[in-house]
Amino acid sequence: MSLDDSTRQKITDLIEQNRVLLFMKGDRSAPQCGFSARVIEILEGYGAEYETLDVLSNADVREGIKVYSSWPTIPQLYVGGEFIGGCDIITEMHGTGELFEPLGVEPPPAVTPEIHLTAEAADALGQAAAQSGGPGQHLHLSISPSFQSTLSMAPQSPMDVVVETSGVTLMVDRLSAARANGVTISLVETQDGRGFKVDNPNAPQVQTMSVQSLKELIEAGEPFELLDVRTPEEYETARLEQAQLVDQRLFEHLQTLPRDTRLVFLCHHGPRGVQAAEQFLSMGFTDVHNVAGGLHAWSQEIDPSVPQY
Amino acid sequence: MPIQIAGPGGALEVQAALDEAVRQALPKAEVEVSAAGPGHFELRVTSAAFAGKTRVGQQQLVYGAIAHLMAGPNAPVHAIDRLECLIPESPNDP
Repeated sequence: MSLDDSTRQKITDLIEQNRVLLFMKGDRSAPQCGFSARVIEILEGYGAEYETLDVLSNADVREGIKVYSSWPTIPQLYVGGEFIGGCDIITEMHGTGELFEPLGVEPPPAVTPEIHLTAEAADALGQAAAQSGGPGQHLHLSISPSFQSTLSMAPQSPMDVVVETSGVTLMVDRLSAARANGVTISLVETQDGRGFKVDNPNAPQVQTMSVQSLKELIEAGEPFELLDVRTPEEYETARLEQAQLVDQRLFEHLQTLPRDTRLVFLCHHGPRGVQAAEQFLSMGFTDVHNVAGGLHAWSQEIDPSVPQY
Repeated sequence: MPIQIAGPGGALEVQAALDEAVRQALPKAEVEVSAAGPGHFELRVTSAAFAGKTRVGQQQLVYGAIAHLMAGPNAPVHAIDRLECLIPESPNDP
């Protein structure tokens, strides 16, 4: 296996110029493989500065980095010019708390979050843990930076905070713990049967915007995305000039935007906008608004020249 | 149990190639290779050369040795599902 000099030099320059650099498939907002996505999820949780390089659009680096690192798989993390590891090793270091130092992040204090369980949820969690937990397996709650909650069985790691609540023992890693205070876990009936629901008061909510505020926002000329989530037929009938109809192509484009982009949803009366807004919240967007009363309110209160239907 | 196909490109032949490649790079190493599925293998290597190295450093020695079997779109080895690197109990007598 050889590595030509120009590719070797290119990789050397890259890892010297970027203190924390992840060689991955895709980029942080759209990882193109599960292993890359996993490492991005971990890195995002630390809030540290890092750069990524997409090997899918750099064919020479894609093969070259494997030889350079003597490592056969992507992703690969470099810190300070040194190879740290791939997905498995990063995941393991995350669990043991060994990632704080290379990423230059102070470990958060081991604060025990207050977690509430409804009586039904406590019963069901206790049963689930007893059924699926082998020796050394404990119930874990993790909460991603975009406030996606996951319940799982896993061994205890040194970075876990132990929470005793309603007779159930829950382990929460320190980064999640900072996002878990005040969480309520309940049991709900869904189409797929019973499931746990995690209500997190720390998660961003859909914010309601009046048509008046929307008008001011448009006039202020600040950048934001005004997104119309009605059908193409409705859009033909009546629309705001500044609003973009969300079709498949726009939907895919929106997913690649930075997660702090301001998104404002607009529909006919409001409910469809709320649904769409919640979907984008769950994708990690944090500045998400819905226009109260929708286009109907706009026509009534702001601009009667927009047809009502 | 995955079906083992003998002959060119078959799992047994690739297992032998993996074994050979690791032994060349790490003389005196003890190597166990097993097939874990089409193109997927598991490796357990015991070598004194691992002493004093980090887990990443140990695995880099093995991956470096077998890189030619994993390169390119039609590589015989698609993935090493499990790689164990062990240091012999008495490093001078592996």
